[in-house]
Formats: sequence, C-alpha cells, structure tokens
Amino acid sequence: MFARISDIDRMFDAMGLLRGRFDNIFSEFDRTLGYEPKWSVVSNYPRTNLYDKGDQFELVAEVPGLANEDLDVKIQGNYLEITGKREVKTPEGYRAHRSERGSATFTRSLTLPSDVDSAKVSATLKDGILVLTLPKSEAAKPRQISIN
Amino acid sequence: MDGKDLTQKEQGAVESTRNLRQVTPLVDIYENDEEILLHAEMPGVTKDDITVNIDNGNLTLSGVRSMTQDGAAEWEEFGDVQYQRAFSVPQTIDVNEVSAELKDGVLALHLPKSEAAKPKTIEIQAG
Repeated sequence: MFARISDIDRMFDAMGLLRGRFDNIFSEFDRTLGYEPKWSVVSNYPRTNLYDKGDQFELVAEVPGLANEDLDVKIQGNYLEITGKREVKTPEGYRAHRSERGSATFTRSLTLPSDVDSAKVSATLKDGILVLTLPKSEAAKPRQISIN
Repeated sequence: MDGKDLTQKEQGAVESTRNLRQVTPLVDIYENDEEILLHAEMPGVTKDDITVNIDNGNLTLSGVRSMTQDGAAEWEEFGDVQYQRAFSVPQTIDVNEVSAELKDGVLALHLPKSEAAKPKTIEIQAG
C-alpha cells in the first residue's frame, strides 16, 4: 500500500518536472550558439551595422580573430567591399578537443545609401570589431536651406 | 525519493535577471601535456567586461558587449549581447596558475595542469 502511494507521489514529481521545463522553455529558446550557422542568412561573412550620422556613415563589422593584415576594404562611389581571411590552426604540440571556430575566407559587398569620399575614409580595428568612418561626398551631404 | 530530488534540483537552478540577449560564444579547446588551452570568440567585449570564474570544478565564462552608437541606423545585424558559457574542468587543473589574454576579440584561457597530473616517464634501471 505504501509502495503505491510513493508511486503516485513520483508521478506528480515527474509532472512537476515537466512543468518546470515548460516554465523555462521561452527563456531557453533564444539562446543561440554563435553565428547560427544553419539558419542565418549572414553565415559566411561578418555581420555589419550601418549608421547614418548626417555628413558621414559609420559601418561596424564583427570580425573576431582577424588582424589588420587579414582584412581588405575597397570603396568606389557607394560600393563597399570587405574581404577577409581567418585561419584557425591547432597550436603546435596541442591536440584539439573541440573546434567550433573555423577557418574562413569571406567577401561581403555592400551598397551604401549614397556616395562617399573614398579619400577620407578611415578604419579602426579593436577587440574584433571593425569600424569604418565613411564621410559622404560633397553632393550627398545634407544642406541647410534658408527660407526667405 | 530520488525522483523528488531531481525535481527540487531543477527548480533550484539559479536564474539570473536577463535584459540582454544571451549568446553562447564559439570555442576551441586544445590540450597538451602542460595545459588546456581554450579560445573563445567574443567580438566587441573589452577586457574589463569579461569575467572568468572557476568554482568547484565549474568554469564560467561571461562577457558583456555594450556598444554605444549614435546616428540613425540604416541596418543593424548585431547589437549588445551577453556571452555566457560554462564548462566543467578536471580537478587536475591548478586554479591559481590560470591566465587569460584577449586579442582581436578572442579570449585565450590557459589552464595549466598541476604538477601531480603531468605525465611522467619512469626510467627502467638495468638490474
């Protein structure tokens, strides 16, 4: 008889466990692994943000593990191309347990909303984030119009 | 009885307040006779925003990326995130000797093995 009661007790425990899982289902759902290699549209090239700051654009790109010499940026008019190469090698004398980061080469070309002055473009790379400052060309800059 | 323990453990799991999107950083783990080497990808996280905790055989990596941006966004494919990942480390790691460096958005964590755990070759004496 007592054995039966403990069986029922266990059944409710199992149901409680299931309910606990359902409680967490949404908070666990949005945990993503790195770059979501299978689903994401932006999988083989870095993710970028573009900001319009009035007389210049600022392009920010995620390039972890790339040094200055691994990156190449080309600009022509409103066309921008970022090329990069990353090599991830097992260090000398080590055995690999897990390798999730891979070697990759990528080219991403972007069309900017307006022409930029390619001579004045500057780029900085810090902590795996590339920041390009792209001043707009004279014709594309906003102009104040005074009303008479 | 053991079923009950399982239930309580599940509910007792620590849940932190979350206001940032959580992302699991990609890692590479290497090992040689001296140490275990871990590379974790955390672009945009500065040195001060990374915490590495080793407690009772659990290694927790956590880093917050906060990017200040002004201007109108034409497009935005990434933003502020919290990188978080946990591993269990063997007891043979010398916790006091763990070191870490950050380069180009990749964290390198060196976990040296304690003296007792290093492989030794025993020389056979000619009898």
